[in-house]
Amino acid sequence: MKLRILVADDHEIVRRGLCALLQKREGWEVCGEASNGREALEMAKQLKPDIVILDIGMPLLNGLDTTRQLLQHDPRFKIIVLTVTDADQVIREALDAGARGFVLKSDAARDLVSAVEALQDKRMFFTPRVNDLVLRGFLDRGHTVSRNERPDLPTLTAREREVTQLLAEGKSSKEVASLLNLSTKTVETHRSNIMRKLSLHSIRDLVVYAIKNNIIQIQMPPQPSSTTETSVA
Amino acid sequence: MALRILLVDDHPVVRAGLRTLLGGRSEWEVVGEASDGVEAVEKVSKLQPDVVVLDITMPKMNGIEACRIIQQKAPGREVLFVTQHDSPQMMREALAAGARGYVVKSNLARDLVEAVEAVSQHREFTALAQNPRT
Repeated sequence: MKLRILVADDHEIVRRGLCALLQKREGWEVCGEASNGREALEMAKQLKPDIVILDIGMPLLNGLDTTRQLLQHDPRFKIIVLTVTDADQVIREALDAGARGFVLKSDAARDLVSAVEALQDKRMFFTPRVNDLVLRGFLDRGHTVSRNERPDLPTLTAREREVTQLLAEGKSSKEVASLLNLSTKTVETHRSNIMRKLSLHSIRDLVVYAIKNNIIQIQMPPQPSSTTETSVA
Repeated sequence: MALRILLVDDHPVVRAGLRTLLGGRSEWEVVGEASDGVEAVEKVSKLQPDVVVLDITMPKMNGIEACRIIQQKAPGREVLFVTQHDSPQMMREALAAGARGYVVKSNLARDLVEAVEAVSQHREFTALAQNPRT
């Protein structure tokens, strides 16, 4: 029986590349493609793939919250997250969310097949930097606590995180209500609770919080090149 | 004669995706790949492609600077920018650097083949995500 894989990334060109990589392997098939977290959630529940590959920086519902919600629905889901950064906080969030594989997009051509093989064999797959962080966390145990245990960080509920992402993406309360199938009044109550819990005073503050906490990702302009001279014959 | 195409993007997965999108045209040949601007300039010299499909944000040398050098030192190559920057300002900068085309990554499935076809015939092709093609 073929290994069935669901691929979720908001960039079609990336999905095409991922599918090309995965479908080279005999016995593997991409059973579905999703372009945002909400779609991935629905497709995973419906298709029940063996492996789910989720980009972290997706619109409507980011990959980390999609991971949390999928595992809450069914802890048997095996999830690999794809990310553009292996910053400590992102790694911690991915581990906390329950991902069993962590692959940098820049290394996906090299690592993704190995990651799928690992999960297929009921193992985990992490980049060397994640392994270092996990080891350091183990060695420092007793001196540090995980992000979720830190008393100074207020905890948002899953629904509040969803609302935070959608508001930070620029949607109105009415649009959020429509997307989440809630009343506008309920969304506004969530919004007030979020602002109060996080001590925020404006949507601008909320956007900054969402960026800092990897709930949304922003696009940066290109940096000037360090190399300006080279030769072409 | 086959149209010779060089693909330049720092993410191998994106290059793989570009290959699949261009793979439907038998008269087109992907002659090489590069992962940064410096390598792109070197490969243009070595492989003499007709069309360079070029990302903007890359290590070592960004695509805009690579495009300027390619136009200066290897004229006759057509550059098509393929980028995540859905910005009129960035598009103007890209065209000023000598590119013939500019398309955003979010619309590549719709625009890439048409854009390569246009620039290979020395016609300008630009398309931002929100705007109609020109």
